[in-house]
Amino acid sequence: MKQDNVFLVAAALATLLLAALPALDAPFVQSLALSCLMYAGLAVSWSLFSGPTRYLSLATSAFFGLGAYCTAVGLAHLPWPLVVIAGGLAATLFAFLIGLVVLKLRGAYFAVITYGLGELVKHTITHVEKTWSGTVGRVMTETPSSNVVYWSVLLIALLAVVTYVRFGASRYGHALRGIGIDEERAATLGVNPMRVKLAGFCLSAWFAGALGAAMAVRWTYIDPNTVFNPFIVFQTVLISMVGGPLTVGGPLLGALVFSLLSEFLRLSLPYLYMILLGVLLIVSVLYLPDGIAGHDWRAMCTRVARRWFKAAPAVEPPHE
Amino acid sequence: MNAYLFIDLVVAGLVTGGIYAVVALGLNLQYGLMRIMNIAHGEFLMLGAYLTYTMVRLTGLSPLWFIAPMMLVLFLLGLLLHRLIFRRLAETSPNAEAMEARSLIVGFGLMFIAQNAAQLTWGGGMSGQPYLDQAVHFGEVTVAANRLLVLVVVAAASLALVLVLKRTLLGKAVRGMLQAPLGAMLVGIDTRTLHPACFGLGLALAGLAGGLLSMVYELTPAMGEPYTISALIVITLGGLGNIPGAIAGAVLLGLVETFGMYYTSPSLKILISYGVLVGVLLLRPKGLFAR
Repeated sequence: MKQDNVFLVAAALATLLLAALPALDAPFVQSLALSCLMYAGLAVSWSLFSGPTRYLSLATSAFFGLGAYCTAVGLAHLPWPLVVIAGGLAATLFAFLIGLVVLKLRGAYFAVITYGLGELVKHTITHVEKTWSGTVGRVMTETPSSNVVYWSVLLIALLAVVTYVRFGASRYGHALRGIGIDEERAATLGVNPMRVKLAGFCLSAWFAGALGAAMAVRWTYIDPNTVFNPFIVFQTVLISMVGGPLTVGGPLLGALVFSLLSEFLRLSLPYLYMILLGVLLIVSVLYLPDGIAGHDWRAMCTRVARRWFKAAPAVEPPHE
Repeated sequence: MNAYLFIDLVVAGLVTGGIYAVVALGLNLQYGLMRIMNIAHGEFLMLGAYLTYTMVRLTGLSPLWFIAPMMLVLFLLGLLLHRLIFRRLAETSPNAEAMEARSLIVGFGLMFIAQNAAQLTWGGGMSGQPYLDQAVHFGEVTVAANRLLVLVVVAAASLALVLVLKRTLLGKAVRGMLQAPLGAMLVGIDTRTLHPACFGLGLALAGLAGGLLSMVYELTPAMGEPYTISALIVITLGGLGNIPGAIAGAVLLGLVETFGMYYTSPSLKILISYGVLVGVLLLRPKGLFAR
């Protein structure tokens, strides 16, 4: 409890510092910080549900894209904060509807069906736009300033962190972890697995949708292939898995590292960057199953040290 | 409906379904035996296609010469990948669900690596060289010779695999592992040899499909993805580890897609595939033929 509060105070201070960033008038740094905050929000909210339950959700791209499309449709009619909230709610509604059925599946089936549903939504929107709207993408005029977008994303990311910590400490958080360890046992102990999973899934979807809604205006022109890009979910899962989805610090650390990495490598060496991501993904799954933050580094150091000290006398021959 | 058009569509559906069958059989073995949800399976099809294409470009010989050596290369690649990645993954995963989820992420990693390596090696544009694309006439029905060849080869490959599984001692061992992994080990089946071999066989089969496709279609680094999705649909339709079920499912999906595209529009192909996948997973997650 106390540790959580210290962390939340630190997060609030960091947010205040970051909120002052536009005063520096450094567009490059600000855009870097924006993409870092976006992935921090996405990875923390993904870990909120998928970390404790170990349900590998690949629906993040779908939530993000739905939020972005809400902005494309609603920006002309609604004030900015309402647009962002509505984008999140659209994703939550979608998560609720699909969650009722897909949360009954487990393991790889759950991952495959969430990915399939995301692609289904993308292709449906493409088809609807082509057939009835007579267009593939949408142009947004009268977008809010880049500072407003930055502060919105910062606020959503902070909200995601606070929610992760508060939700994790609540009865629901304990129930989610129970489900991740053994779903039948949790059900026997009085947890209603469906209700708890649905709550976690919908809550995590809101943040992805709101982030999509806030980020949509950065592109000014959006089409289904940009905002429903599967790359968004891959990067999110990678950041959370490498960082460690069972801690809030893990996804934050991962987001920082990967946005720096992608900023400097993705433009100059795009294919090599993707190959590197693939290798990192495999190595982290094999050797750091709980991520950097969740890994027991102390045990590993002890093991290495013990091996080293045991080997040491053998190297020096006894002289007598 | 015109009878010739009907036959045309059936042949096209069978060719597609046959390719799906070969791809799905490999994935079914990997998933059924080792719980490896190899989402990069289609990428090995792509590698097979590009390898065949490159050899034909370099030598000018018929692609048929290179299919068998290319399958051997992919088989060896499968052994290597199993040794480097999946053996450790199986040893460190606490249960089957964890193995599935972790192998899925590894699969995404392999997909990134394979697609982007192909992009660096062969470029992002389309490449291809049609082989045997003249028409063959059967009375009023016209079929392209290469499609007929594809159909014959995939049918022969599927039949051969089914016969090996049903009639030989080796096949019996594999079926035993599919039914009861622990029991198979107890009666002395050497899973440490057979698992890598079956994983490699899956890659070789995907490569076979790729090599055949390189004679018919154009190649792109992302060409494998739709086949992964189709293979997932097929093994869900046919049921996990059910080899005849997978073949039936593949032919069914091929026909549904071909007829569905003809009566709606080609741009709906992906929509139809994902629709079928989601529908099957929701309604019959244990497969169409489950009792």
